[in-house]
Amino acid sequence: MFSKQKPLWGKKKKLKSSYDVVLIGGGLHNLATAYYLAKNHGVTDIAIIEKNFIGFGGAGRNTAIVRANQRTQHNVPLYKEALDLWPVLTKELDYNLMFNNCGNLNLMHSEAAMKAARTTISTAQFHGVESHLIDAKEAKELVPALNISDDITFPIHGAMFHPPGGIVRHDAVVWGLAKGAAEKGVEIHQQTEALAVGTKNGKVTSVTTSEGVINTKQVLISAGGYSAGLINGMLGIKLPISVLTIQAMVTQPLKPLLNHVVSSGAYHCYANQTLKGEIATGAHMDPWPNYTNLSTAHFIKHQAEALCEFLPCLKGVRFMRIWGGLADMTPDMAPILEGNNHFDGFFMNCGWGYFGFKSCSSAGKYMAEYMATNHCPDMLKPFALKRYEEHKLMGETAALVSYSPDN
Amino acid sequence: MALTITCPICGKRNGYEFKFGGEERGPRPDEKDLTPEAWCDYVHMNNCVAGVQKEWWFHRDGCGSWFTIHRDTTTNFEVEKAEAEK
Repeated sequence: MFSKQKPLWGKKKKLKSSYDVVLIGGGLHNLATAYYLAKNHGVTDIAIIEKNFIGFGGAGRNTAIVRANQRTQHNVPLYKEALDLWPVLTKELDYNLMFNNCGNLNLMHSEAAMKAARTTISTAQFHGVESHLIDAKEAKELVPALNISDDITFPIHGAMFHPPGGIVRHDAVVWGLAKGAAEKGVEIHQQTEALAVGTKNGKVTSVTTSEGVINTKQVLISAGGYSAGLINGMLGIKLPISVLTIQAMVTQPLKPLLNHVVSSGAYHCYANQTLKGEIATGAHMDPWPNYTNLSTAHFIKHQAEALCEFLPCLKGVRFMRIWGGLADMTPDMAPILEGNNHFDGFFMNCGWGYFGFKSCSSAGKYMAEYMATNHCPDMLKPFALKRYEEHKLMGETAALVSYSPDN
Repeated sequence: MALTITCPICGKRNGYEFKFGGEERGPRPDEKDLTPEAWCDYVHMNNCVAGVQKEWWFHRDGCGSWFTIHRDTTTNFEVEKAEAEK
């Protein structure tokens, strides 16, 4: 990462004393925001400030699944656009993002779940997103390894099949966007920690970093799981966010057996086969706020038990690697995108929970528009922080740690 | 990841026996002159401290007690004696 080779995003530059825009956090949302600020709005005097290295956090820790099968009318269009952007970005960035749109198969294990799937599918179809309800036999045809017998803990009743979703190589997105942004003049400062945001008379004036003070009028904090703590610590703005560890793991590489992403709410488990052949699986969160990336034996056991029930051919397969990352969960499982509210020139983009990867391209595009024009695009209006005060929580999945029965 | 929680009745136990009950936010605000902002602050808003915080836990798979502890969110270790031991 810090070798002598020249990285795709150019040589390390000296931090200047002023920039038009400072983006705190070198993850996908800020890389995408910087890219679109430069590409669509001609704003190129931008510094991305990253404490570790770009892609250190959620950007490099997620399990690379992309989809647009959320539940509500406000969320679906944002994720749909993100999904539509992968092939576009692959061309624009001239960088292979390894988008494999293999489709997502979301298993349903009760009639109630089937009914909920019908609602979600109707919403998807209304918004032009392909999604179908299929029965257990059809699911078995799609994924022959699936166990559709009645003798498992949660027998499979049917599934929601969402063909346009799939997997994108997350590191490639980090490198591709960094390359694309840097070519347009954006500076990426790794190993540089943001320490404070300076304000005067209700306006943003500066950002203090470990490498010196930057004068700026616009700051965006989008640092994944670290956002809420930073925003509260630097500016005293409290957010309805709980930061939880989410774990994932991969098995040893196997011959191709899963050509769709398979997920199950009841088993609390999803699995997809990477292009290398590993089965990547996860979904479990440790339901107490913390900032560690540690993994647990408790979770390895849970994951193995779940997989062996609905994909019994995986019995005896070994896990090769396990890791953890942070998810900033909001009570309504929808993000907070906000600007010029608490201070003129201060923007935030956080609260994505474990949906940050699949949304980064479209969220970055619209945050760029928000910052360049100082007008909130219609797409982002429903995601203002004010909704919690107005009791207008979104109807996505009930989220840990606030409301879910898993608590 | 190791998490143990010290219950005031059952002592030090595996963290998975417990349910996290939120950051300590002080007493419930008085309903007289209560604004939506103050109520939202009490119901939803968190400090998200990277460090020691006072928080509530419920011994779900145990004695059923509600109690507070101090825990370092960067290590998951309790840092002071649990409430009942003071």
